[in-house]
Amino acid sequence: MMPGIGREERRNKRAPVVAVIVAGTAAASALVQPGWQWVPLAAGMSAAIAVGARIDRPGGRGRGSGRSGRGRDDGDGPAGPAAHRWHMLVMVSRLMPRSAGRRWLAEAESLLSEITATRRGAAIRSYLLSAPRLVVMMWARKALLRARPGPGRPG
Amino acid sequence: MALRLTVQVQLVLQALLRDPAREMYGLELSEETGLQPGTAYPILLRLEREGWVASRWEDIDPRAEKRPARRYYRLTPGGAVAASAALPGARRPNGTALRRLAEGGGTA
Repeated sequence: MMPGIGREERRNKRAPVVAVIVAGTAAASALVQPGWQWVPLAAGMSAAIAVGARIDRPGGRGRGSGRSGRGRDDGDGPAGPAAHRWHMLVMVSRLMPRSAGRRWLAEAESLLSEITATRRGAAIRSYLLSAPRLVVMMWARKALLRARPGPGRPG
Repeated sequence: MALRLTVQVQLVLQALLRDPAREMYGLELSEETGLQPGTAYPILLRLEREGWVASRWEDIDPRAEKRPARRYYRLTPGGAVAASAALPGARRPNGTALRRLAEGGGTA
């Protein structure tokens, strides 16, 4: 829910559209008379570039993105630098033991969804700054729990 | 492992002790204490592991509410007693520490 539409996801969605446009352009160029082949070629390539370029536009959203073109300031998750930091949060959560990482990320997501856009960057930064200690703390605890003989564990 | 009553821990405990029966979620705690959310989280985790604080996920339908569920924290009865006993004896935050907290939201 949180991070808007990821760059990779947008790329994956738009790639087939670009492929269809390029294929259509090739087919149309083959069909028209030799002197006019540049028309579908130019139109098709322009359309393909226009669709493809939206992939890399920060916060670029198009039809089919599933987000109705809403920006981050209206509660659609971070974009731009904040989105980058959000992806870092996701990556950091993967460094933690699975359940602990999931909880950490879910709490961060919950909080960041309610915080104002102006404070979101600082909040994400604070999560990232405290993460290394947290990662160590969580793995240490996990190791301690493993080393300690539990009720269902022999020894 | 004994719980160190740092300035930040004291602030979280004070916020929770204002009404021990009240559940607070991360953003509320962050606003009441002036700590950044990333700073408050490890403190809450430590307090939970020490048994001073209990937490639960809010039971809502995130689609209907149009927001993710919150994680609510409250002092356990034992935690409230322990915090009430520990806070008066804890090292009081000095002016510099409070200024640093006000400027940067604190670090854990």
